[in-house]
Amino acid sequence: MTLNKLFSIFHLSWLVSHRNWTVYKKDFISNTSPTLADPALILVSLGLGLGGFIAEIQGMTYMQFLAPGLAVATALFTSFFESSYGFYVRMTYENVFKAMLTTPIGVLEIVVGELLWVGLKGALMAFGVAVVLACFGLMANLYLIPMAAVVGFLVAVPCGAIGLLATGLVHNINQFQSVYSFIIAPMFYLSGIFFPFEQISPVIRWLAEIFPLIHGVRLSQSIFWDQNILQTFAVSGSILVFQSLLVGYFSYRVIKKKLVS
Amino acid sequence: MSVLIKSDKVEKKFGSFQAVKSLDLVIKQGECFGLLGPNGAGKSTFIGLLYGTSLRTSGDLKVFGLDPSSSSHQIKKRLGVVTQDNALDESLTVFENLNLYCGFIGIEYGQRKKKIQDLLEYMNLSHKIDAKILSLSGGMKRRLVFVRALLNDPELLILDEPTTGLDPAVRHLLWGKVKELHKKGTTIMLTTHYMHEAEVLCDRLVIMDQGEIKAEGSPQKLIQNYGSGFVAIFASLIKEDLQSALTHFSDLSFKEESSGLYVRGPKLENLFLLQEKLKVSAMQIRPTNLEDVFLNHTGQGLSDDA
Repeated sequence: MTLNKLFSIFHLSWLVSHRNWTVYKKDFISNTSPTLADPALILVSLGLGLGGFIAEIQGMTYMQFLAPGLAVATALFTSFFESSYGFYVRMTYENVFKAMLTTPIGVLEIVVGELLWVGLKGALMAFGVAVVLACFGLMANLYLIPMAAVVGFLVAVPCGAIGLLATGLVHNINQFQSVYSFIIAPMFYLSGIFFPFEQISPVIRWLAEIFPLIHGVRLSQSIFWDQNILQTFAVSGSILVFQSLLVGYFSYRVIKKKLVS
Repeated sequence: MSVLIKSDKVEKKFGSFQAVKSLDLVIKQGECFGLLGPNGAGKSTFIGLLYGTSLRTSGDLKVFGLDPSSSSHQIKKRLGVVTQDNALDESLTVFENLNLYCGFIGIEYGQRKKKIQDLLEYMNLSHKIDAKILSLSGGMKRRLVFVRALLNDPELLILDEPTTGLDPAVRHLLWGKVKELHKKGTTIMLTTHYMHEAEVLCDRLVIMDQGEIKAEGSPQKLIQNYGSGFVAIFASLIKEDLQSALTHFSDLSFKEESSGLYVRGPKLENLFLLQEKLKVSAMQIRPTNLEDVFLNHTGQGLSDDA
């Protein structure tokens, strides 16, 4: 593949992302407020409420322990819902891609563009949540707040790819509920957000390692707690990039079958 | 004239269903070419094959001398498509929709506004530049889809059932625009099941049914081959009465369709004499047209996939 071809793919993918941003920003406040409000609510109910019964966890308050996971969970939900329900609606009910495919944009650009979009949206949301959490004094080093956007991007892309993969495989919009119940919800509850990962049974731990969220949680913990940042990015960051490429490739294959007959 | 589309024994199967069967076609630069057929005839499938949203099962297909399976990106830069569904971004305004597409087809940022304004003016839509798509009427949306297809000054304009569901005024306006574009040298490929539309616009056409070409030629030639003359349509007449009256007219023949009994003959006066004989007025007496040719080749019944 030539450099020109790569540039063209990236440029057209960027335009696909830009289309979503153009639509999204029209209702920016109503689109962003629940995403930012939900983690704050969890923090208040679990952190302040339940946290009152927990003296200390790994040498910190329960709110401090909970905060990093909430930032990446936001990226998970933002990206999954966007690339599953959102993409499905764009593809099936709004026919957005039918018209797009009459232009030089192809399925590859649509898939890369959607993943880029969920990555950026995840980055924006994780950054927003990090700012809110920092206001609660839950970030050890305020200069690391922008890094939350990087973590959000790294987590959102593979989670978005799972959503796209599901979109390529479901037969109707209701089937996303099963994907949520059997993949997304377990990932959310069993990736060390609410309690130390080491306390889960080894089998579940091994399974959780296959999915992106635990690696995102580790990255987020490293920046929120300002601990082992480089080492964590080298390991967990690389795993997330690998997962993005792998799941992204399979999602491209199944979406192509939906868009090209 | 150079060849823009060449289809050589192109076939497309969906599982065991064969949507396009061994299709041979040549479309030359500057032509307005029509693909006619009932719903499910394979017209839109063939259109999809031309720009890569559908991949052929076998045969050889070239558009601008390029293979759409591997070079759809280059092909799509040179064509405009009026899609069967409007597929407009309903969340955006008219300008936002078109601006987005200018980006997709690579129009420089500085040239976009003028280009959009000029084309909206051309389609009598300039007053709607900031309107939301949801506020547009069906005819306005269709004209907007035309604007979208014309943004890149296409060498080949594909119109996939462009006037389906539109009122006659909008339909005539769009026909006028298509004729203008054709006169300027744009090659046009039209799919339709409106016979009059094909007769008005096309230099040459094929009639397709169940994935196959049933007839090919200019509208006039197809009518001539079928037998030019006149048709009387009787909506409420008993078949046996007609058969008995027709024994007095050796040059008249009839065909039963679900909309009535169609009597055809070369001389208008004999159809009037038939009316007198039957003491029943025909619902309509008109010259033979493409619809008669179409019905003759495709039959009246709807296919399972229509």
